[in-house]
Amino acid sequence: MAIKFNGEFEVKRTPEQVFDFLTDPQKFAPLLPEFQGMSVEDPTHFTVKVNVGISHIKGTANVRMELAQAERPTRAQYKGQGSVAGGNVSLVAGFDVSPNGDGARVAWQGEAQIFGRLTSVAGGLLEPLGRKNVQKLINGLQAALS
Amino acid sequence: MKDNNRNWVGKPLPRKEEGRLLRGRGKFADDIKIREMLYLRFVRSPYAHARILKVDTSRAEGLPGVVGTLTGKQIEPLTQPFIEIGPEPCAKIRDFPLAVDKVRYQGEPVAAVLAESPSLADDASELVQVEYEGLDPVVDAEQALKDESILHESAGTNKVWNGVFEYGDVEKAFREAAQIVNIDRLHFHRFSSTPLENNVVIGQWDPKDDHIYYWCNNSFPSFAIQFLAAHLNIPIDRIRVQTFDIGGSFGIKITSYPQMAVCALASKKAGGRPIKWVETRSEHMTASAHGNERTFRDTRVALDQDGVITAITSRHVDDCGAYPRYEPLGCVIWSQVFPGVYRFKNARIDFTQAMTNKCPVGPNRGYSRMQHLWFLERVVDICAHELGIPADQMRLRNYIRPEEFPYTTPNGCVYDSGDYPKMLAIAKNLIGWDEWKKKQAEARKQGRLIGIGIGTTLDSGTNNFGQSQIVNPHAPFSGNSQGANCKLDIYGEVVVAVGSCPQGQGHETTAAQVVADVLNISPDLISVRTGFDTERNVHTGFSGTYASQFAVSGLSAVHGAAQKLKAEMKRLAAFVLETQEDDIEFGRGAQGPELRAQTKGKSINYWGLANIVNVNSAVLPPEMHDITLNCRYIWRAPFKVPDTKKKYGNLTMTYASQLHIAIIEIDRDAFIPRILDYVAVDDCGTVINPAIVEGQVYGATAHGIGAALMETCVYDAVGNMLTSTFSDYTPITAMNMPKVKYGHIETPSPHSYSGAKGMGEGGAAPVHTISAALQDALFSSGIIIGDSFNNADTLFRAMVGREIYQADKLVKLERRA
Repeated sequence: MAIKFNGEFEVKRTPEQVFDFLTDPQKFAPLLPEFQGMSVEDPTHFTVKVNVGISHIKGTANVRMELAQAERPTRAQYKGQGSVAGGNVSLVAGFDVSPNGDGARVAWQGEAQIFGRLTSVAGGLLEPLGRKNVQKLINGLQAALS
Repeated sequence: MKDNNRNWVGKPLPRKEEGRLLRGRGKFADDIKIREMLYLRFVRSPYAHARILKVDTSRAEGLPGVVGTLTGKQIEPLTQPFIEIGPEPCAKIRDFPLAVDKVRYQGEPVAAVLAESPSLADDASELVQVEYEGLDPVVDAEQALKDESILHESAGTNKVWNGVFEYGDVEKAFREAAQIVNIDRLHFHRFSSTPLENNVVIGQWDPKDDHIYYWCNNSFPSFAIQFLAAHLNIPIDRIRVQTFDIGGSFGIKITSYPQMAVCALASKKAGGRPIKWVETRSEHMTASAHGNERTFRDTRVALDQDGVITAITSRHVDDCGAYPRYEPLGCVIWSQVFPGVYRFKNARIDFTQAMTNKCPVGPNRGYSRMQHLWFLERVVDICAHELGIPADQMRLRNYIRPEEFPYTTPNGCVYDSGDYPKMLAIAKNLIGWDEWKKKQAEARKQGRLIGIGIGTTLDSGTNNFGQSQIVNPHAPFSGNSQGANCKLDIYGEVVVAVGSCPQGQGHETTAAQVVADVLNISPDLISVRTGFDTERNVHTGFSGTYASQFAVSGLSAVHGAAQKLKAEMKRLAAFVLETQEDDIEFGRGAQGPELRAQTKGKSINYWGLANIVNVNSAVLPPEMHDITLNCRYIWRAPFKVPDTKKKYGNLTMTYASQLHIAIIEIDRDAFIPRILDYVAVDDCGTVINPAIVEGQVYGATAHGIGAALMETCVYDAVGNMLTSTFSDYTPITAMNMPKVKYGHIETPSPHSYSGAKGMGEGGAAPVHTISAALQDALFSSGIIIGDSFNNADTLFRAMVGREIYQADKLVKLERRA
């Protein structure tokens, strides 16, 4: 099943500062909800470990991330793939950064594809949970960039 | 009854099996524990379609108690791909029991873990790391035929099979038609069976004798061993399969041979230790087998002025899931009931089967015929409503007439017997047709939606496997046969062994009834060996329990074996009692069953006869040495190989029929369909045991009601199965069942020795009947019931959302001058 997200927010940082933040795994990844740790393989590949708790399915998900697009300072896109008990997830998240007065506007879009028994066991919970966590991530980004 | 003696056949005897099954003393495959047994757990794909990049089993193997793992890459060089029944492109498919390079449906086994306990195997399976690269899934058969995303690159297409079944003069019939009804699309949904007992396999590849031993609940073992021997590169005589009590199959357990293969290979890897695999319910729902899903496109129906159907053309697309396995047999099996219960002679059906990224299909109660019969019943009802002809009258105008039996269908099948108008009359009487018509009219004035639906259907039994040659002229199958053995054991016990593997059908009882009538003794004195065992040597390549055939094939074999035994007993008794064979009568004396010389006043009991042959044989003269009192009989169906080019020939021996009527009300606020009254009338020819037949009718009715209103396999757009638990699939329970009124007639079959017809599948009669009742409730709202599954959500979408089932878009009536 596919869950799609999008939105935008404004921050008082230049587009370059925003882009540099978004494309630095060490800064970006800890903002992911339920972040537990990460290992960086190279500047564009890293694996994050996050706690997952959906209904009675609980565990740790290892999500391999790739910075698939980096066009400073306007566009960054991550692709990720991970597994958790009962399912797999693949995700794409893109950020379009544009000047906004003395700050920047960030338009973001994401799509998560969920595979496996998770979809039937917790299907109805996935979308609201996903939205909640995306909102947490965006709030964290806004806070970190303010 | 064509056989003379009928003291026991026809009596509603309580089942001999009841005692142990109802007391929890049945013996099922999971009850078996063997020394040094290991437990197997599959690692299954979460993806419907993905490339396997890497399978890392090291963490699982490092867990204490884990003995080993198995992957597709490991078994590929050790085995042959499973036999494909179909010709190319199907024949190019490389099907292994563990995915090798790709996964093609969610739940497909990718690896297996062997451990000392089930829970260890479970834990270790979660430690197997599989890296996938997602591929575009295709979950719709019509979409799959565009070949934009190919499941099996070796086949080069998702199309499994295509063939045109054309009979009569279709063009002429349409030219001369007074009216033509066009139906754009109908769809038969995917559902499955939910047997109480899931699949279970214990497999051992014993290094001491290089034999493979299976203790399992496969329901067509003689078919399974043909696939396994070729796949595992082992002579078929080195595979022994035993089955025991089986907690339901409904056909779905026919296709457990891939899991059987993995258990054998795992055992070999583990040094010959037995391997047990017990399927979980979610595994069963996701990855055992589902029934065929089918879409009916561009249907045209030619009718005369009175609503008599003269021709039908249509294009059918069948979805067999990710691997054909038992398919493409379903591409021809539906044609056993080509015209259903109707008289039309001209028809053209263009039939195509496609693979999709969903669970492979398997024979499911009413296999392939129910989809077609549902289609025909929909056609009849839609035409009736369009033409303003009452549904019962429409059927009476189109039914094959009682005096026309045996009736040869346009494609050469010979319907043995039947009386559909009589069944309709009985069903109408039982339900109170006229009363309901009045109530319906009153209810409609109040705005209530009550529908009355009729479903007339067939349960074709005892296949001619020659029909496989219609889908593949090189297929090495034709005819049908069944084996049985009947003997007097050393102390005179009557022991019967059959090649079937019953799953609740009462074979132990009915076989005893048949033998009791042959020997003129009580069924209580007859011991019937149940469960399949290759080493009993009573099986043929068709042995198993499937396709509504035991009453004909199984009991014919039992009857033949009993007759042979009777003849030997008579001959031996005549010798011992110094009389002629025609002087011998079978009866019961002071010491139990005996044979008497009527003119001499002498007798010998069964023990005496058995004693002479088995432990006192020196008294026998040489001319009596051929007497064994251990009689094997192979019954063969009198079939011919069909004409594969014309797709013409007799495909089935018997045609039981069912006629159901349902009264349904659709709640106007909640859109929930509720059954107000229900009747099931059955005709399976001469009834061997009325209690067993009635039980099977109720079972098939429950199965069909569940399928029509509650049970559907739902996949999302990327191939996630969303109904992998009972909470989501909602199988029918006793609580959901209406009170079913039961009636029956007997039109004895001229094709079976007893007049009996195979039954038990029920032809999915409730699916047809409920669609018809909903149609009747909603036709005046401009709604055509276009799917076999209907619940409150479906009806809401049709009635309020107007998204589906809109008659003005789906149906067009052409009236000629």
